[in-house]
Amino acid sequence: MKLPAFRSFGATLWGIGLFLVVLGGTAPWIPAFLLTVLIQLLIFATLAYSMNLITGLTGYVSFGHVVFMAFGGYALAFGVGTLNLHPVAGVAFGAVVGLALALGIGLVTLRFRGVYFAIATLVVAVAALYIVLEIKELGDGQGIYLSLRFEPLSWFYTIWVILAIEVVLTYWITHGRIGYGIRSIKSDEDAAKTVGINAARVKLFLFALSGLFAGGAGGVYYWTLSGVFPYQAFDLIFSLQMLAMIVIGGMGTLLGPLIGAVAVYIPSYIFLTVLSGFQFIIIGIVVIVIALFVPEGIVGSLRKYIPELRGVLE
Amino acid sequence: MADAALFVTDLALGLLLGCVFAVIAHGLNLIWGVAKVVNVAHGEFIMLGAYGAYFFNVWFGFNPLLSVPIDAAIGLGVGVIFYFFFLFRELRGKESMGPQSEMVTLVATFGLALVLINLAQALWTGNNVGIPWSPGVVQIGSVQLPLGGLYVAITSVAIIGLSHVFLSKTYLGNAIRAYSQDIPATQLVGINPTSTAAIGTALGFCITMAGGALLTVWLPTGIYPAMGNLYAPISFVIVVLGGPGKMWGSLVGGLTLGVIIDVGQLFVGGSIALATAIGFLILIPVLLFRPEGILR
Repeated sequence: MKLPAFRSFGATLWGIGLFLVVLGGTAPWIPAFLLTVLIQLLIFATLAYSMNLITGLTGYVSFGHVVFMAFGGYALAFGVGTLNLHPVAGVAFGAVVGLALALGIGLVTLRFRGVYFAIATLVVAVAALYIVLEIKELGDGQGIYLSLRFEPLSWFYTIWVILAIEVVLTYWITHGRIGYGIRSIKSDEDAAKTVGINAARVKLFLFALSGLFAGGAGGVYYWTLSGVFPYQAFDLIFSLQMLAMIVIGGMGTLLGPLIGAVAVYIPSYIFLTVLSGFQFIIIGIVVIVIALFVPEGIVGSLRKYIPELRGVLE
Repeated sequence: MADAALFVTDLALGLLLGCVFAVIAHGLNLIWGVAKVVNVAHGEFIMLGAYGAYFFNVWFGFNPLLSVPIDAAIGLGVGVIFYFFFLFRELRGKESMGPQSEMVTLVATFGLALVLINLAQALWTGNNVGIPWSPGVVQIGSVQLPLGGLYVAITSVAIIGLSHVFLSKTYLGNAIRAYSQDIPATQLVGINPTSTAAIGTALGFCITMAGGALLTVWLPTGIYPAMGNLYAPISFVIVVLGGPGKMWGSLVGGLTLGVIIDVGQLFVGGSIALATAIGFLILIPVLLFRPEGILR
């Protein structure tokens, strides 16, 4: 596949790139407490882009993304705790595990459409928790505690690299030849098949990529927590947060997941220190309102109502 | 392999448990049949039903069975509100729900689930509560069964049977079934689609919340805000097992899942967790090979 020329990259990619470069360049001078907030933000942005790859681009609502994230964390914990890997290698291991799981789960569940796909992924996520509870190597239901050092800069640059790769890949996929196939699947899968698009392969490719990045992000997340515990790791709230971010930001757009991650994570971080528990009530209400009344999300609505922005935002 | 008496006991318990699973799934089945979309917040309405039974017990000393009709009445009201808030805009003037509306409803009801769980947590704390009600046990041959579970099973079958009678013998019930089969044809014969769908949804919520009250008999200390995370997937599996839109499907699916979970643990070394996982994952082969459910 031929890559588009640099000049045609579009303002949005340049904007996100500039944001990441500034963030990456100033990271060593950012105070530690602020840096940990930024790290969490980047982790959630990575997860949002991962959800965007399958749900945003094809319209298949996945409730099971928490599985890739949790197994990314378990892979990190197993790799670091049992195999004595370096945490960065553990994160890579987590990403590979996420990829493998997504291939396996996607091969079966992507045959179902709409509601059935959502239910199948939800059920897989719940079943995965009960299976992990019984595996001795994965902490035997108690979770795995690691005593890793506090090293915010390593966390930061690991997730920074993952997010940068993910954004570029999202851009490349949506603007390349495969992007036409993806858009046609989203509008009408049967019609897409009749014009010769291998829908099953395209969907599996996206789902596997999405599992890869969710696994990597999960690895970094549990690296920062220095341990992984089953009931928290498989909490479906993670799937919801990912969905909420892309719904609020704008499904299937390049900028949407980042905006959504900022819009969901920063208020929930502020609320966390004031009223714990209430942040999810408010996120939930916002998700309901946006899903029902402005299903295009922030980026989609801006594009819809301000035509001048159409060439800039994507 | 376990001995025969243990097997028979687990089979009987599985069947009793399956009956109550069937009721909570039956509510979902009705909503699914009418709206053609899954209410992701289904588990949270089961939770509300269970908390309803708990508070009626704390305030008035009602046992869970007495709370069933009250919960059901509340469910009717909740269902109408839910219909006009979440489904009306997506169903109005359409022949069926398109992929876009489907996604909107899935995401919006998932948001609703989040709100309800956290609201319940804020109001009633995250602690487990339960209703102390155990009417004793009954001895049938060598099998000992909890009497409470037996009452619940009878009530459950009665609820499903009554809803079946309502849907097949009354004008309104027939209208709901017609609506779930073909919306334009329903309008052609002069049925108001909005009120029919609203009543169908309300009936689904009525049964769901009644099921939540019935479930509390099985959960001596198992009522907590996030309990829906377990019972919603159970309902989804049951509806798919029985076949969405099939009235007896929920009962067949519920009994199947109850038996798989209770008898299954004998085969996997007594681990309830693994048996539950198997019960859930059975959904995948059923969807692959018999997407219309195990009933013909």
